[in-house]
Amino acid sequence: MVSVTIKNLTKKYGETVAVKDLNLEIKDQEFFILLGPSGCGKTTTLLCIAGLLKPDEGEVWLGNELVSSSGRDMHVTPQKREVAMMFQDYAIYPHMTVFKNIAFPLEVRGKDKREIVERVTTTAKLLGISQLLDRKPKQLSGGQRQRVALGRAIVRKPRVFLLDEPLANLDAKLRVKTRTELKELQRKLGVTTVYVTHDQVEAMTMADRIIVQRDGVTEQIGTPDELYNRPANLFVAGFIGSPEMNFTDCTLIKDGKKLWLDAKEFKIPVPAEIVPKLESYVGEDVIMGIRPEDLYEREFVKEGTQKNAFRMTVDIIEHVGPYLLLYLRKGRLSLVARVKHTKAGVGQEASIEMDLSKIHLFDKKTTKAIL
Amino acid sequence: MRFPKLGRVTLYILLIFFIFAFLLPLWTCITTSFKTLKGVIDTTPVEPPLGPLFRLPYPTMEPLITAFNIMKRSLLNSFTFTVAAMILSCLLGSINGYILTKITFKGSNTVFLFFTIGIFIPYQAVLVPLVLTMSKLGLYNHLGGLILTHTAYGIPITTLLFRNFYGLIPNSLIMAAKTDGAGTWTIYRRIVLPLSLPPFVVAAVFQFTSIWNDFLFGVVLTRGQNQPASVVLANLKGTTTVMWNLLMGGTLWYALPVLVIYLVLGKYLMRGYMAGAVKG
Repeated sequence: MVSVTIKNLTKKYGETVAVKDLNLEIKDQEFFILLGPSGCGKTTTLLCIAGLLKPDEGEVWLGNELVSSSGRDMHVTPQKREVAMMFQDYAIYPHMTVFKNIAFPLEVRGKDKREIVERVTTTAKLLGISQLLDRKPKQLSGGQRQRVALGRAIVRKPRVFLLDEPLANLDAKLRVKTRTELKELQRKLGVTTVYVTHDQVEAMTMADRIIVQRDGVTEQIGTPDELYNRPANLFVAGFIGSPEMNFTDCTLIKDGKKLWLDAKEFKIPVPAEIVPKLESYVGEDVIMGIRPEDLYEREFVKEGTQKNAFRMTVDIIEHVGPYLLLYLRKGRLSLVARVKHTKAGVGQEASIEMDLSKIHLFDKKTTKAIL
Repeated sequence: MRFPKLGRVTLYILLIFFIFAFLLPLWTCITTSFKTLKGVIDTTPVEPPLGPLFRLPYPTMEPLITAFNIMKRSLLNSFTFTVAAMILSCLLGSINGYILTKITFKGSNTVFLFFTIGIFIPYQAVLVPLVLTMSKLGLYNHLGGLILTHTAYGIPITTLLFRNFYGLIPNSLIMAAKTDGAGTWTIYRRIVLPLSLPPFVVAAVFQFTSIWNDFLFGVVLTRGQNQPASVVLANLKGTTTVMWNLLMGGTLWYALPVLVIYLVLGKYLMRGYMAGAVKG
């Protein structure tokens, strides 16, 4: 149970840079998620923490113990790091029974028989796989295998858990269930956890903090709330949230004292409180983002607070149980709105309002958030 | 696939013809080894010695017994060095395959290339240096010399075999064992080796057959008491007249161990071959 610190980590495979100049501080007992599309360097980062890969540059610290340092040319082997890793394919030893699988890390460490039996039994009970201890991996379902892999990881009380897409091979229903259980287990055991996933829902629901990576570069580090409500750039804004945030090109124009966002199809006033921040962008192109749930149909907005409505054609209506998705179009502009009810039918026009306090603005050149 | 009826009949006739063609030498070998020398001369090789009732000579065990008495020492020699060299070359090939696939190091591909080249070195090319080396080592005319030679000659092919099989073992398994705290040797002993039965069977059968059948190294490196069965069998032929019944009797004895190996390990062998094609 330690913190994990990564300083200026770079890892290359030949000419390809998998991770570039990564800096991370994962707190003790934190549930930390590495999130990003495939090939973004998240698994590489995990393998560097495990010691299975040797970083080309930078340092890795476990607590106040330096385990990898390119400068001092040191690298503590994975065997000596006391971290447990769980792989996407679970990597269960196929020739061993469940008991032997879970006992393996203890046997390798030369623990005595009685302690091994006791700890394996406790772990199996904790994970609800006591009745499977005599089985071979071939006789297990995907969910059971996942548990065995988890058992092997927790049985030896490691300092850090490293989980590489542990839920990716489970079916959708089991995945949701396991998500909660895993999070609960982590809280109960209090072990610092680094978790890799490409699934943003998984990341948002489980993590204390998340790092979003793309092409080996850090896009943003923050709590789920920060990533969702204050994305640092266009990539994070688009990556987090489903359906994803609506984006449209706008020009900032000044009309007297007021600032307007002109998207050609509509023109909306910039709320007074953010005007000062935008002064320097007057006359420039920016990208405006608005999440689907911050769009409403005028009919359902409270009387008196209505403003800035613009008419759009409803292309498709999707029923997603608790809400509806409206696919709206006007000229070259298309938006998705998440609403509770609608009066408009497919092909009809609807009056759409947006919650101006919820708009996001991004610099078109740097793609960084202005607000 | 469905053959028309005529086609099917033709196919079976063809297949039966080939079965006869392949079994004929074995059949004549068996019939001849049960005949007296006179019987060999009086009858065609295809005719079995069933006795006067069929107007054929009496069968006799004599050639088999004589051949065994002449060959028993050499059969034991062959068996000893074949089994020893088989075990050693399989084990070393397995370790090589493991290191080359799972503990890749700088230049591991070059090392593997050299192993592969080793497969193509003809025996004849190394005979002179081999004999000189063995006599320097004091292993000339010694079973140890044959064990060493056959082990060394087997390593390239067993390495190739094991390397291909270990390529199928997921790397995550090795990485998991590493984070579980197991060192290189523990991983080999506890994870890799127990999963290696299929390639071990294939390599063992292959090595047993090729070492057992070797003649050249045997004839060059040993003489007298230490000669392998292949060499003694060739000498059974005699210098002036060929005693066919004795020679065939010796051949049967010589073929027996390989036959037994195939019968015993046959079903594992198929599995081993399959393991390469379909992920086991």
